[in-house]
Amino acid sequence: MSDGTVTVQRLGWAVGCLVLATAANLEALPVWVPVAALLAGSVRLALAVLGRGAPPKTLTLLAAVAAIATLLLRFHTFNGITAGTSLLCLMAGLKLLETQRTRDIRVIVMIVYFLALAALLRSESFWLLAYLIGVCWLATATLMQLTVAEPGPGWRGALRASARLLLHALPLALFLWLLFPRLTEPLWSVAEDSGAATTGLSDTMDPGDISKLVLSDDIAFRVHFTGAVPPPRQRYWRGPVLEEFTGRIWRRSERARPGSDAQAPLPVTAPAYTYTIGLEPYQQHWIYALDRAVRWDLPHARLSDTGVLERSDPVSQPLDVTMTSVAGGVIPEAPDRNRQRRALQLPPGSNPRTAALAQRLRAQHPEARDFVAAVLGMLHTEAFFYTLTPPRLGDNPVDDFLFDSKRGFCGHYASAFAVIMRAAGIPARVVTGYLGGNENPYGDYWIVRQSDAHAWVEVWFEGGGWLRIDPTAAIASARVETQQRDDGATAMLGVTLRGRGSWLADLALRVDALRQIWRERILQFDQSAQQSLLERLDIPAPDAGKLALLVGIAISLVFGWLSWQVRRDVSPASRDALVRAYAGLCRRLAGAGLPRAVHEGAEDYAERIARARPDLAAGIRGLLRRYSDLRYGAAATDSPAARALARDLQAFRAPQQR
Amino acid sequence: MKRLRLAAAWRLRTWAGRRHGIDTLPLTVQLRRIYILPTGSGLVLGVMVVAMLLAGLNYNSNLGLAFGFLMASIAMTAMHHCHRNLLGLKVDIGLDADGMAGASAPIGFVLLNDSAAARHDIEVRCGDGAEVVTAVAGGAARKLEVALPTPVRGVLDLRQCELATRWPLGWFRAWTYVQAPIRVHVAPRPGGSSLPPASAALHGERAQSGRRGDDDFAGLSPYTPGIPLKHLAWKTLARGQPAAVRTYVDASGSPVWLEYAALPGLSGEARLSQLCRWILDSEAAGQPYGLRLPGLELAVGQLGAHRTACLRALAAFVQEPGA
Repeated sequence: MSDGTVTVQRLGWAVGCLVLATAANLEALPVWVPVAALLAGSVRLALAVLGRGAPPKTLTLLAAVAAIATLLLRFHTFNGITAGTSLLCLMAGLKLLETQRTRDIRVIVMIVYFLALAALLRSESFWLLAYLIGVCWLATATLMQLTVAEPGPGWRGALRASARLLLHALPLALFLWLLFPRLTEPLWSVAEDSGAATTGLSDTMDPGDISKLVLSDDIAFRVHFTGAVPPPRQRYWRGPVLEEFTGRIWRRSERARPGSDAQAPLPVTAPAYTYTIGLEPYQQHWIYALDRAVRWDLPHARLSDTGVLERSDPVSQPLDVTMTSVAGGVIPEAPDRNRQRRALQLPPGSNPRTAALAQRLRAQHPEARDFVAAVLGMLHTEAFFYTLTPPRLGDNPVDDFLFDSKRGFCGHYASAFAVIMRAAGIPARVVTGYLGGNENPYGDYWIVRQSDAHAWVEVWFEGGGWLRIDPTAAIASARVETQQRDDGATAMLGVTLRGRGSWLADLALRVDALRQIWRERILQFDQSAQQSLLERLDIPAPDAGKLALLVGIAISLVFGWLSWQVRRDVSPASRDALVRAYAGLCRRLAGAGLPRAVHEGAEDYAERIARARPDLAAGIRGLLRRYSDLRYGAAATDSPAARALARDLQAFRAPQQR
Repeated sequence: MKRLRLAAAWRLRTWAGRRHGIDTLPLTVQLRRIYILPTGSGLVLGVMVVAMLLAGLNYNSNLGLAFGFLMASIAMTAMHHCHRNLLGLKVDIGLDADGMAGASAPIGFVLLNDSAAARHDIEVRCGDGAEVVTAVAGGAARKLEVALPTPVRGVLDLRQCELATRWPLGWFRAWTYVQAPIRVHVAPRPGGSSLPPASAALHGERAQSGRRGDDDFAGLSPYTPGIPLKHLAWKTLARGQPAAVRTYVDASGSPVWLEYAALPGLSGEARLSQLCRWILDSEAAGQPYGLRLPGLELAVGQLGAHRTACLRALAAFVQEPGA
């Protein structure tokens, strides 16, 4: 088949599709890549507008070599999404530059499809999917316009035909997606792009850190409880446990890295809560859990020696974990001298005033429990304020905070409290995580946001294990029961978005409920979800053979439907409005006593009617004359003239003769 | 590779020929006779879809998988739409075509699309390399001619034509064979001297009068398309009467006979070329003529139709061995 020509319009469509597909990938591409591709596209388009062909081959070849060399220098590989996407984008740009035949445009459209896929591999947004299906629609319409014969479908016709094609394709895509077997392990490992910025807790804590998080309305995770929901004062979601103190910053101790001293799940002791936690990616190894996880369905995850669930891969994609926790404010643990010594570590000479205070108080309260109560009492009675904008602290930040500024938020209180405990010889450590969460009334789940980030302390009691103590709660203990910093922070920031009752907040919750459905049903659809779906369809224990059979059945059903659709398209003119209108007219005339003979053509029929009913003669002659001209002429049946005639035929009435 | 493909295509053609038998025209392209295969671009797409699905699986991305399946499904749907582009198309073919050696013979087709949907990019092919790509709007008919190259004189029997399409996306090619006995009459390439030389053409009847241009006006006869306009009776036309042509009778009152046997100095094919030239020239000059070939005599007839008959006789003429 001879190929069609490359016109400005065709080039324009290809460039447009490429720009739209690249836009979806912008965040993953080094800036110069889309710029280079866009430049190539504009140069070619400008040449086409000026009526010139593609630039010389050597030029394009040089550009290609330069582009690939730069990419290799930058990435050292083409494996991985970012490098691959950059390569695709550049290739499309260069292909555009040398486009001379419609075949080149076909190649560009293929790249557009691939760029759309690359964007979807990196994102999980519903809107992105919708946008890219739109791009796919345009790209398909671009292909449809590459016809050889005139008249082509035109861009309107191509868009219409492309929309029809996509609509026809959706059911099959859905069946295949539902029934295709899923892998539990990846086929090959790829260079993970960890450049993505994430919000969330890290494995160090400078007391100031958390104030930034508290300002963020991003969702940290969602929780669906099966059965009982813990009371507000037990909703502490434990994250990294920080044992090492530098005098200012708290760090995770190196020995608490995953895999070391992993413990087997403990037997369930009351009160236990079972829930599914849907984590948003945060690029860390730990998994948030209520106090102490005892059962979990996450392969390769283990409890660290600080009682935090961890796994070897960071959470870089949305992850659902179902687990059971014992949440009573105590992390039970056998005595371990080493760990207790670690939990007493203080940099020598730092924060001397705090150390003196601790020793003085300890002398008054030799019993550990009394001592803890005394320190909490001090925080409660003295003029300590909770604020998100505390003054800057000096070289001994704990001293400055406790004796001078007396203003801070959870990070400051947890840090100061742990230092006092350690200085008094009581093992203590800082725990960061989240506190609380809001229930979404439109979905059976709770939302925990970055603004719920919190820091508290765990103190070692002989025989009891690690006891959770939240010194921030001592400031205004009533506030821990209701979202303490929630009210504080949002009131201070003047943010009313999350206040109940505001229609905007209501809408936000509804949207989030939809997002949760999207996440649970679509993004997290895996082997087990597939199995439960099939079980609901009364197909127990689906194996590969059964799945293949189902796919086969689905494909034949869809193909049957498609053939029917397509056959309806090409069924001859009986569906044509004009013929229908004519048949209607004949029926009405037959009702008036003038049936059409089978052999009679439209004009013969008109003559006979004119003879029998002179009152109708003029009207019927003109009408049927037009009909036979249009029907047997070369005009298209959907021309405006045909539509007008069909209307006239429908409107014609033969009044009963007196 | 190409030879392999050609061989496969030839086998398929002969097999389809046996399967369908000779078609009655006009033919409606039915389901059972449409074949469809992916094109090169379609195969590339197939590889791409597999890569997309692998990537989706590997990145454990349900959206990636969904997009991969959407692409696969678009391809499958495009296959149906491609098939649809031929389905139900009605085709009629002119079973006799005339051409000249060294030129081409136009083979006439009528494509009728009585469905409401337009049909884009329908390829019509006859023999090797002769094809026309056309579009037929909804409810419309299209006439077209495929120029079949005719390098040598003779009668060419085409048993088969092909209708094909790659619409909508160029990923599939659907085609069908139309089994129609098309006879292509390839007349010899005109050659030799331009007008019947007295010695040969006059052979007997016109021996005494070697002049041209002294023909007498004989009257008017109705105009038929194909007659040179210089014979048109412009005056009668100007008076509003039907178009007519002036006919002349040779002064000698008898037609010219163009004879194969009267060209002894030439080889067989050269004689046919010469006769062809004379037929065309006589036709152009409005000179009635007859043709005599060994074993065949075509008496003087109507201009136009007579020429076609004579040229077909030349095309069909089989040389005696050693003549």
